[in-house]
Amino acid sequence: MILLSRRHLARYGAAQLIADQPVVIVARELASVLLESKRAKEADMLVADIAWELESRGKVANVKVTSAFPLTLSLKRDIQKFVKGAAKVDNVILDELTDKKVLGGMRIETATYAWDKTVARALSDIREEF
Amino acid sequence: MIQLVSQFSSSSSGISSLGLNLKSFIFQLITFLIVLLILSRWVFPRLVATLEKRREALERSLEQAKATEETLKAAEEKADKLLHRAREQADVSLTDASKKAKAVITDAESAAGEKAGRIIKDAQAHLAQEHERLHQELRSELADLVIRTTERVVRQKLDKETDKQLVETAIKELKS
Repeated sequence: MILLSRRHLARYGAAQLIADQPVVIVARELASVLLESKRAKEADMLVADIAWELESRGKVANVKVTSAFPLTLSLKRDIQKFVKGAAKVDNVILDELTDKKVLGGMRIETATYAWDKTVARALSDIREEF
Repeated sequence: MIQLVSQFSSSSSGISSLGLNLKSFIFQLITFLIVLLILSRWVFPRLVATLEKRREALERSLEQAKATEETLKAAEEKADKLLHRAREQADVSLTDASKKAKAVITDAESAAGEKAGRIIKDAQAHLAQEHERLHQELRSELADLVIRTTERVVRQKLDKETDKQLVETAIKELKS
């Protein structure tokens, strides 16, 4: 049996999704490969790699936004618009997380980019300066 | 001769007129001559020889004394010279010793000064480092305190509306 690298699997999965293959079918194929090669633990990393592939090909960016309070729709739209322009992708999937530890502001993370505009980060930068 | 003496002595004029006994005089003269002969024959030569020996001994003694005096004088001069030379050497030695002592003292002072300078410099550097470290620690602790306080204040004061404004501002900054 040929052992395919995770990078190859990610490229294959991204190509299948771009070709409008159903997500369920692609997921089953990749899962079977991982189970067959006894690499089930790499599933999360494979998903991250597929996200990176899709983003680097300018198709979809899976964005994780962390803030202290839930974001309004207008803010979400603004963030999506910003990420589209910054990451140069056609679509943006936004996952919102609420975390009081960030104190305020928001942190945007994609597969290839990260912008941290939280109050916690600003205070941490000040602490590092001293 | 006896007759002549008798004849001369029997005459009533001459010496007898002076109250002298010619016979006695002649006899004494002969005795004197005999004594003189004996003395000149056996006593005087020995006496002269003894005196000559004593004179020679005295001369030798004088010469020896003179020689001794000269030797003493020479010895004194030599001693003076030696003493003078010894004094000169002592002076030179003292001068050298004084110079060496001064040099040793100067070197010791210089070395002590350098060592003291190094110690002071090290101490100053150590003090500066310690001061800088304490300053840094104080700054760090003060910053930590300020940040903790800020965090508490932000947690208490930051509401949803303020957070919305913050996010909007952040998006604007990112876009710019």
